[in-house]
Amino acid sequence: MIRRFEIYSLRPGAPPGRVRALETACGRCGRFIPEVLHGAVGWNVSDAPVDLVWEHAFASPDAYRRYMVHPYHAAVLDRYLLHDSPERVVVDNDLGAGLVGYDCEGPVFAMTGGVRRLVLLRLNRHASPSVVDRLVSVLANAPGEADQMVLSAVGANTLGSAWFDAVTPIAGRPRWTHLWEQGFASRDDLDAYIDGPSPVAAAERRQWRGVMEDIVERTTSVHYEIDGPRPAPG
Amino acid sequence: MPYVVDTVEVEPERLLPYLDAVRHLGVPVMTDAGAVLVSCATTSAEIGESVDVQVVWSFDDHDHWNVIRKNLVLDPRWYEFSARIAALRTGGTRRFYYPVALSPP
Repeated sequence: MIRRFEIYSLRPGAPPGRVRALETACGRCGRFIPEVLHGAVGWNVSDAPVDLVWEHAFASPDAYRRYMVHPYHAAVLDRYLLHDSPERVVVDNDLGAGLVGYDCEGPVFAMTGGVRRLVLLRLNRHASPSVVDRLVSVLANAPGEADQMVLSAVGANTLGSAWFDAVTPIAGRPRWTHLWEQGFASRDDLDAYIDGPSPVAAAERRQWRGVMEDIVERTTSVHYEIDGPRPAPG
Repeated sequence: MPYVVDTVEVEPERLLPYLDAVRHLGVPVMTDAGAVLVSCATTSAEIGESVDVQVVWSFDDHDHWNVIRKNLVLDPRWYEFSARIAALRTGGTRRFYYPVALSPP
């Protein structure tokens, strides 16, 4: 299975009707392109310079490729996203995570509600595979040591450079090499985790300095309520 | 053969710069990406209204458009073109059209 995120920053002054149309287009995508699975939209409530997150998945690279050539993709989604479209409502941002995703065995990320936190990690390119595996294991097992976390899924960011067909890299190493999805029942639980005593939360607060040969070079995160309402301005 | 039709609104004094951007930036980058320019036409600039510019591109099918989109995203000239025309227009739409049987070949 391919897990995929599109993360948008809205253009200041973008017509509200078109922004709602983009949100609706993402949320309804699975009705028109059945290959789009587990679709949900969320409004960022973190400090990251982004607004809207569209999370979804595909059963296989073949399913992803059918999505890529579906008229709904070109005629509805791209209308609001492509740089040269007169209806574009988004802008570039400094996050470097417009499109990210990873491979997984099944819908390990599935949540029907609550709060999703997507942590973007940049690992040292010279890190040994065994250390990477150890880190991935620690992250995947984080709910065992952090009671508030109800879900954790980790994977290498394969779509960052292979967005065209989900297989073939057509760009260099992505800024964010790994993705770590966390799930929480509420924002209170997320806050309790971030401020809490678990070793993994403590490592996050230290930006992973001193952990596993300093394998984590850089990290940032986005969180949102799954299919939640748009936060009020300010 | 489907078409992508951009219909944008520009103020009359910006019509020529807009058309210049399409001609010298847009056509090369779109053509190199694989799209074919079908037509470019405008409403009159002499009727006291903003001008609509309609640019029509054709492509073989959505597999082809997918490749065109990839080529555009990887071409730095496309970003320059996009920024130039965005600064010149006041609004507009993008729609995909598909020929029907009564359309001449």
